[in-house]
Amino acid sequence: MGKHNQRYEAQITSREPKPFGFRYSCGLNGDNTGLAHYILLDKKNS
Amino acid sequence: MNSALNPHGARVNVGPGPRFDLCDIGHSDYVAVIQADSAFWTLAPRNQAASFLLGEELAQAFSSHQDRLQAEMQALRFGLKPSAVYFNPTERCNLNCHYCYLPEDMRRSGADMPVADVFRALEILAGYFQTDQQAGVFLPQIIFHGSEPMLRQDVIFAAIEKFGQHFRFGIQTNATLLDDGALDFIREHNVSLGISLDAHLAALHDRTRQTWGRKSVFGQVTEVLKKLTGYANYSVICTVTQANVGHLTNIIEFFHGVGVDMALLNPVRCTQPGGRQLKPEDHELAQRFIKALDRTWELYQETGRKLVIANFANILLAIAAPTARRLMCDISPCGGGRCFLALAANGDLFPCSEFIGLPEFKGGNVFQDDLPEVLDSVAFRPVTTRKVEDFEPCGSCAIRHFCGSPCPAEVYTTTGTMAAPAPYCAFYIEQARYAFRVLADNRLDDFLWQGWNEGAEKIFSL
Repeated sequence: MGKHNQRYEAQITSREPKPFGFRYSCGLNGDNTGLAHYILLDKKNS
Repeated sequence: MNSALNPHGARVNVGPGPRFDLCDIGHSDYVAVIQADSAFWTLAPRNQAASFLLGEELAQAFSSHQDRLQAEMQALRFGLKPSAVYFNPTERCNLNCHYCYLPEDMRRSGADMPVADVFRALEILAGYFQTDQQAGVFLPQIIFHGSEPMLRQDVIFAAIEKFGQHFRFGIQTNATLLDDGALDFIREHNVSLGISLDAHLAALHDRTRQTWGRKSVFGQVTEVLKKLTGYANYSVICTVTQANVGHLTNIIEFFHGVGVDMALLNPVRCTQPGGRQLKPEDHELAQRFIKALDRTWELYQETGRKLVIANFANILLAIAAPTARRLMCDISPCGGGRCFLALAANGDLFPCSEFIGLPEFKGGNVFQDDLPEVLDSVAFRPVTTRKVEDFEPCGSCAIRHFCGSPCPAEVYTTTGTMAAPAPYCAFYIEQARYAFRVLADNRLDDFLWQGWNEGAEKIFSL
C-alpha cells in the first residue's frame, strides 16, 4: 500500500458524512473546448 | 423541519421553485441532489437526504448561485465559436479497421487532397479564424486526421512549419508510419499526437486493427510508444469493442507500463455498420470500464504515477468544473459544427469527422463556400441545435448535462432521427454514477491531470 493510499484512507475515515458540493469555473475563451473524442490538445502550457 | 423557501418564497419542486432530482449513485453513504438545467449538484448523506432536499440550506445555496451557474451553462452550450478543424489530407488508410467511421471504398482507394489545396485550405481557415475569432487570444487548432494522415507526411509537416504562427497542430494516427525522423519533427514542433491502440497483445489488437493484407501492426505501434517516453504531448486512444471490452484492465496495465500518462477508452461509435457490429453491451461495458478506472487509481497509489482516462476525466469536469472540460462530445449541443468542424480530403465540410460518410450533413466546400454560411447551413443545423431538452427520456434526465446523449451521428444512423437517446445510454448513466462516487470519496484530483484547475476559481461550495 503506497503513501497515496494512506492519505486517502485518512481523509475518508476522518470525515463525518455531511452534505457537500462545489463548482469551479474558468474563463471561456474557446481555447480548450474544440475537441472531440479523438485527440487531446490540452498541453497548451507545455 | 425548516421551511424550504428560497428568497422568493418558492418551495422546492413545486410552482416556480427550483427542481431537484434525487439520484442513487451507488454509494454507501451519499446520494446526489441535482438541479439539472444548471448542472448544480450536491451530495447528501443517505439518511439525511429528505431533510436536506426540503431544507433551507439547499434552496438558499442554489438560489444564491443559480444565475451565474445557468449563465455559465448557457455560454458553454450556445456561446462558443469554432476553435478547431479536423483536417483530412487524404481519404486513404494503410489499415482496415473494422469499425472505422469512413466507408471502406474511400479508405481503400480514395483520393488525396492536392498539395496546393492543403495550403490553400489552411490559408482560408487562417483567414476565417483571424476575422471570426478572438485573434491573438489563443491559437485555433488543426488536427490532421483520417483515414491515415501520415500517408501525407511531406505535406502536413510542411504545413506545420508554414502555419505554426496561425495554429496549434495535432495528428491522429495509427502510428505505423512514425519513423525516427517523423518523431523528431513532432517533438521539435511540439505537435500533439493521438495514437490508436486497442490492446495489450498482438492477437487481440489484430482482431480489429490490421493492414488490408491482414498483417499485424501491434509491434510497430508499441515500439513507437516506447520511443515517445518523456514526450508530454501525446495520448493513446483505445476504441472499446466487443473484442477488447473484457480486457480493459489488462490494457490499462499495459499502457501504464509503457509510460502512457493519458489515454481515452472510447466506446466504438455505431455510426457505420462495422462499428454497430462491434458495439459492446452497455452493462458489460460499464462494469469493465469502471474496473479499468479502479485499476488506474490502484496503479496511482502503487506507483505515484497517474494514467488519466481522459473521456472519464471529462465527465468529472462536466460535474465539478464544466468550463474546464476539453472534449465536446458529452454535452448538448455537441461540439460538432459549433466548436469544431471536419474538412474532408475533397474540401467538403462536415460538423464532425463522424459525419464524413453521411453526405446529407455536408454543409459546403472550403474552396467554394464561406465558412460562416457553412456553419449556419441547413445541413449543420440538426447537429448544432440538437438539445437533450427536446426529447425524452433525456429531457427529464438528471444527468443530461453530464452526458449530452452522444453522438448525433450514431444516434441518427441507428434510429433515423436525432431526437433519441444515446446508443450507450445505460453506460453513460453508470459512468456518471461512478463519477459522483469519486466525488463522494474525495478522489477527484486522483483522476484528473496535474494542474487541471490552474486558472479556475471555486464559485460555489457547500
